[in-house]
Amino acid sequence: MKLSKNKSFKAIVRPFWESNPIHIQMLGICSALAVTVQMKTALVMALSMTFVVSTSSLVVSLIRKWIPANIRIIVELAIVSTLVIIIDEFLRAFFYDISKQLSVFVGLIITNCIVLGRTEAFALSNPPHLAWLDGVGNGFGYGFVLILVSFFREFLGSGKVFGIQVIPKSIYVAGYEDSGFMLLAPAAFIIIGLLVWLQKSVSARKD
Amino acid sequence: MSEAFKSICFAGVLCLTCGLMLTAASSGLKPYQQDNIRMDQQKNILKAAGLIDDQISYSRQQINQLYQENIIRLNVDPTGLIIDTATASEKEQHILPIYILKGDETGIEAYIMPIQTKGLWGTISGYMAVKKDGETIAGFSVYQHSETPGLGGEIEKKWFQDDFVGKKLVNTHGDFVAVSVAKGKTDSSVPADSRVNYVDGISGATLTGKYLSLGLKEALAAYEPVSIRFRQNNIRCRLQDQAPWCEYEIKQK
Repeated sequence: MKLSKNKSFKAIVRPFWESNPIHIQMLGICSALAVTVQMKTALVMALSMTFVVSTSSLVVSLIRKWIPANIRIIVELAIVSTLVIIIDEFLRAFFYDISKQLSVFVGLIITNCIVLGRTEAFALSNPPHLAWLDGVGNGFGYGFVLILVSFFREFLGSGKVFGIQVIPKSIYVAGYEDSGFMLLAPAAFIIIGLLVWLQKSVSARKD
Repeated sequence: MSEAFKSICFAGVLCLTCGLMLTAASSGLKPYQQDNIRMDQQKNILKAAGLIDDQISYSRQQINQLYQENIIRLNVDPTGLIIDTATASEKEQHILPIYILKGDETGIEAYIMPIQTKGLWGTISGYMAVKKDGETIAGFSVYQHSETPGLGGEIEKKWFQDDFVGKKLVNTHGDFVAVSVAKGKTDSSVPADSRVNYVDGISGATLTGKYLSLGLKEALAAYEPVSIRFRQNNIRCRLQDQAPWCEYEIKQK
């Protein structure tokens, strides 16, 4: 069996590019605009998101046979929100500065359509290991876009990568200025738009 | 019937499990979180006092040590009288915290007031340090805000905060006017004799400046009774180096 035909492999790789939650499914855009000013916050957000999607998918998949169909959405929500609150408390205890910057956006993972979408569409009808891999894949797919967008925004907006100054002082002296626009939300829209363009033209060529 | 009963049981068990997990996480992590909040507060007080630099990162021990060595917290009532902290919390409703920056010999170097004001998008929180003359600003720091990055968000930047240093809370006649954010540069928009009461504005953030000016005025006015005592130089402090607390007394004229 070829690796690319393997179900587990598909579950984790598909959401990374082919069906990426952000630039293909257009989910989770709101947080992608808000937390991508710096790479550090984007990374922490991506990891939190991965933890929440994968764990909630795993839990929902484990108990999928017992979940009564009529209350399944609220059950999924209860599981997701419990996990989100736990990760929020954890960040507040151990990554205080970052949690302050992320402010409400960690809490808002609850309302992020990616999480509920994956538990409802995939975890409810698939075995635990696939559901978990699908969660990890979607988390990484989301995180991949977040980090890519935040790289451009931080690099062009403040001349830094991961908080380290990479554009040397001499260039500023020569008249270069950071683009303040990159720090605003519309810049993320434009970068995501360009990503969508790139993705579409690459897939079109394949077909 | 049995279907509905099953759903209710399931929901009950789920709620109980989730509730237990949340309780465990919340109570287990609380000490760490409170420690973080206290640390952050101390760091920002030290920043307003000009004892730490924003560009350098400090360890928790360093901050704690700097704070213990240099800062003393006092509580004052709205008339500016220092209240005994042990009894104050229950009796007094309007306690204003004030942080004293210890000096070398005279005791007090500066005092630091918490500032909380409305901004364009949310609350702006910070600290303002005023020298012991009761009118010259020694430092200003913002630790929490939700202003637009690049525009109003510039209030967290060094250039904006540094501009407060040396500005006065009183005008040339000695009357309290607080310090305000000018619209544009002070040199071009403010008459020469009141430039000491204004800092440079942020272009594209007129509203943030307006709210900050109003909020500063309000906060500083609340502390004005304290500032007056400093201006009249009738706060005396006996510093005992060994004791973590020192005694303060106020001599009325």
